Amino acid sequence: MKKKFASIVAAALLALPMLLHAAPVRIGFINSITGKEAQIGENLTNGATMAIEDLKIKGIQVELIKEDDGGDPKNALAAYEKLVTRDAVMGVVGPYTSGCANVVASRADQYQVPLLVPAAAKEEITMKGYRNVFRLNAPANVYSMVLMDAVKSYKPKTIAFVYAATDFGVSTVKTAQENALKMGLKEVANEKYQQGQPDYRPSLSKVKAANPDLVFLVSYDADAILLMRQAKEIGLSPKAFLGAGAGYTTAQFAQQTEISNLVVSATQWTDDVNWAGAADFGSRYKAKFGKEPSYHAACAYEAIRIMSESASKSKNPAALRTALKAGSWSGIMGPVKFADYSGFTNQNNHPMLVQQIQNGKYETVYPATFSKKKLVYPFKR
Amino acid sequence: MSFLQPLLSGILTGGVYALAGIGMSLVFGVMNISNFAHGDLMMLGMYLAYFAFTLLHIDPYLSLVLILPTAFLFGYLLERLFINRVINHPHQNQILLTIGLGLIMSNTALLAFTSDPKILTTSYSSSAFNLPGGISISAPLLFSFLITCVIIAILYIFLSKSTTGMALRATSQNREAAQLMGINVAKMSAIAFGLGTALAATAGALIAPTYYIHPLAGHSFLLKAFTICVLGGLGSVVGAGVGGIIIGVVEAMSATYLSSDWKDVVVFVLFLAVLLLRPQGLFGKKGGQS
Repeated sequence: MKKKFASIVAAALLALPMLLHAAPVRIGFINSITGKEAQIGENLTNGATMAIEDLKIKGIQVELIKEDDGGDPKNALAAYEKLVTRDAVMGVVGPYTSGCANVVASRADQYQVPLLVPAAAKEEITMKGYRNVFRLNAPANVYSMVLMDAVKSYKPKTIAFVYAATDFGVSTVKTAQENALKMGLKEVANEKYQQGQPDYRPSLSKVKAANPDLVFLVSYDADAILLMRQAKEIGLSPKAFLGAGAGYTTAQFAQQTEISNLVVSATQWTDDVNWAGAADFGSRYKAKFGKEPSYHAACAYEAIRIMSESASKSKNPAALRTALKAGSWSGIMGPVKFADYSGFTNQNNHPMLVQQIQNGKYETVYPATFSKKKLVYPFKR
Repeated sequence: MSFLQPLLSGILTGGVYALAGIGMSLVFGVMNISNFAHGDLMMLGMYLAYFAFTLLHIDPYLSLVLILPTAFLFGYLLERLFINRVINHPHQNQILLTIGLGLIMSNTALLAFTSDPKILTTSYSSSAFNLPGGISISAPLLFSFLITCVIIAILYIFLSKSTTGMALRATSQNREAAQLMGINVAKMSAIAFGLGTALAATAGALIAPTYYIHPLAGHSFLLKAFTICVLGGLGSVVGAGVGGIIIGVVEAMSATYLSSDWKDVVVFVLFLAVLLLRPQGLFGKKGGQS
């Protein structure tokens, strides 16, 4: 009898801490921690880390279960299945790349666990009518649209495309071509390349021979530096270099002033935009990690915050889905609302920004309501 | 656009490929081992050049004077500690060992240097010489090509004139017979692996100023080096040199006249064609390898 009593007391004592603190919210996070996109993946990881810390201050305990997809859709899918079946998470944030996010999105309705895509741009992800797939960032068509809007008033006539043969590259250029057509721009060169090659000179020489007004580039990380170096080498000098996201928006790229000065790029976020908390996030990030945050960090931060706050108030994944669909937020990414419009489902109509590297610094130059500096056009070396 | 531009740029890029291929071919010739850590050894060369430049302020091309002996020693030790244990084992064991060594190297680099690509920017990183006819030649690529030529020339003289070089070639031709003639084949293996490592690291250091430095950067060159070796004839140093140039030129040409998206397709179709028509490779000896 005594023994039984003791064991009941012991069990009660063990259970006590759980009663005192509400059980943490379980959220899955799929990211490219290794592989080709690992550098950008690190930004996402850091953004998520800051979100968890800030949520803790607000009294929301989050248990973030991180999974690495290495940039491979097959791993991303396995990670999602593991998270929803074995870890029984409320919702999943990620994956980073378009290829991975697209594959995982196709299964979200099967498992009925909400997926919040923080930074993947391929339009298709939120165009198939999936009820459990939400996206925070603006899709690929906005990248090219906002870039072309920024240079529209200067009346360029011709355009050349140089882009990585990835989901992001191909889908961004496809919509860019449609936007170019609407603007009356003539396409004079179209160069798709395989990532990680040491020599892009032949492709760039072809572009140079076509003498375009605008050169539209889509590349991840280091390829952007390589391309711009070789462009300088062969003397490619259009009226503007338009870099659609990713590789043209990193601090490392901006530091290479000799090749990056005056390159225009589209981005989901900057730290000098007038959205609540954006500047503060930027400076806290710099203090904590010793480098500038890319837009991916802000996207991951906001995605984790929205997912965790909604999940903490929901009982199960189905309720979470309703909460995400109904809610609206305002934070470092500006106003967020998952809406259905022009073919998209659960898509946040995020206003993108155009920035230009001026003397080694990213300056927001478009739209005028969010910017302090003016676009420098035409480009000069 | 001129035909000469892609030709020249292909030859120059091919020079660096050749250097990577030669190192691999030498190891295969002497030891009959396919070294799948070759790309990662190249990556180490890139980081050595990067740190020599950022910490010691030595020009990446001058730093070769330090990188060559360091890499040789590293390769020599690798052979003594690990590779020689599998030299008489089946190929799959050797492949597993070299892949394993490569994984350890790339993942250690990932932990130590993080996954941020490092960019080595020298004063001439994006400069070029402009020739008449609108042809421009990348300055760093030209320097690396010239250095490659010098290194290949020295290697050639070493292999054909020096005693050690002749012993290496003898081991490559027939390991058993060489041993019977009194050649220390174990030592030759270690020297060959050291040389292979030194050449891989040199190729890495030479490409560093025009490429980006990343723990996994070697992997795309591993496949290229392997293709070059097989194309030129496994174990043939001359073959690897020619193979490298061929791959460089074919890549540049197909990027110019087809699309850069298609250049790998063209390279591998050519590669298959060579294997079908000349299975021993361009410069390989028929039935030379057992």
